[in-house]
Amino acid sequence: MSTAPRIAVSGLHRGENPQPGAGIIRSIRRAFADAFIVGLTYDAFESGIYVEGGPDAVYAMPYPTSGPEAYFERLDTVLEKTPFDFFIPTLDAEIELLVHLGQDIAARGLITCLPDKQMLQRRAKDRLVDLANACDVAVPDTVPVYDVAGAARGARELGYPLMVKGQYYDARKVGTEPELVAAVNKLLAEWGAPAILQRCVHGPEFNALGLGDGRGGIIGLCCIRKTIVSDKGKGLGGITIADKRLDELCSRLIRELRWRGPFEIEVMIDESRRKYVLIEINPRFPAWVDFPSMLGANFPATLLTMMATGLTPAPMTPCPAGHFYLRHQIEVHGHIEQLAALSTSTDFDVPAETTSRTSAQV
Amino acid sequence: MATPLSDLLLNDRGFTFDPASGETFQLNTTGLRIVRMLQQGLDSDAVLGRMIEDFEVDENTARRDLDDFLSGLKQLGWAG
Repeated sequence: MSTAPRIAVSGLHRGENPQPGAGIIRSIRRAFADAFIVGLTYDAFESGIYVEGGPDAVYAMPYPTSGPEAYFERLDTVLEKTPFDFFIPTLDAEIELLVHLGQDIAARGLITCLPDKQMLQRRAKDRLVDLANACDVAVPDTVPVYDVAGAARGARELGYPLMVKGQYYDARKVGTEPELVAAVNKLLAEWGAPAILQRCVHGPEFNALGLGDGRGGIIGLCCIRKTIVSDKGKGLGGITIADKRLDELCSRLIRELRWRGPFEIEVMIDESRRKYVLIEINPRFPAWVDFPSMLGANFPATLLTMMATGLTPAPMTPCPAGHFYLRHQIEVHGHIEQLAALSTSTDFDVPAETTSRTSAQV
Repeated sequence: MATPLSDLLLNDRGFTFDPASGETFQLNTTGLRIVRMLQQGLDSDAVLGRMIEDFEVDENTARRDLDDFLSGLKQLGWAG
């Protein structure tokens, strides 16, 4: 890239339920030290705003559920103050909004790398069974539910315990009908319909991070086994693996979807069947995206190159098996003035004295 | 779901990593020697011969221990 890339990234939280944005920024800076990065946030307490090496400028955005008008109005204001060329959205709800508005994004001269509507819908949790069947991939019995009565019917079909999942986020294990009702009510209210009931699978969990070329090919893939799982199911540690069966499973899914852009495929080994079962496909990088960058497989940098050139990059070097990550939480420091700026004027530049980088003029 | 024995990563103290499953194991000295011999391409009869020689045990004892160990490897999904 001849000039310093200017990129917007969202999803900067790195707390208990970490988002991918902070890891993406870190990876981009590994490859493009002069990159100018704009953080788009939904909460002034997203910890990645305040981290050293974090975004050069930060703007609060309206929630995607506010609708396209409010979203683009704000995006236009941000672009006027701090222009950028590339946008890497990382939140499922945000991606859902943006794939329907590709023309509006393009009209602003912004470059993204996202799946199209059909790709996105085919990997949605309520349609996962159809996709898995088309690819000859095993999947837990799944029932989409739209209300509590439907959930009770679904639970009778699947039996307890079972997993209840929100359309975009959140999953809870429930063992009784009262727990089911509480979980379904909460997830429907929070993420809309349908909520998803899934038969529980017992066995180790695996994640595959990758980048699809939009023609059915995979540019790069990094597979891990989760070695430490939090009580909320988050991977606090993982180790790289090399299993051709998992690579092939991912290839079949991505080929069928002709997936474009970042993805995360979550699978488990069903111990009763000794075979991989597909749990879900996320349309974005996972929070551990900076880990493969430490092994020489920098997915965000490859994505940025792909967006900048419009070309399919050469296949990435596979991550060797046997490298592990541990999630390591630290405290970051902010000042009340930063919080005030984001809470009132909804944007601020990162003060020069707290970083070695030049602040944005906002 | 089987991992070829040749793919296992071992250190000299028996710490073993299965790169396909991501699982780690601790082999004892005898187990480590057997896996190393199998990785070198020795068949079970050749391994048995080496065990009798190296550990100075009778054939029946060595065969029983080796069969137990090989069946454990099979359960782990490790194939020779």
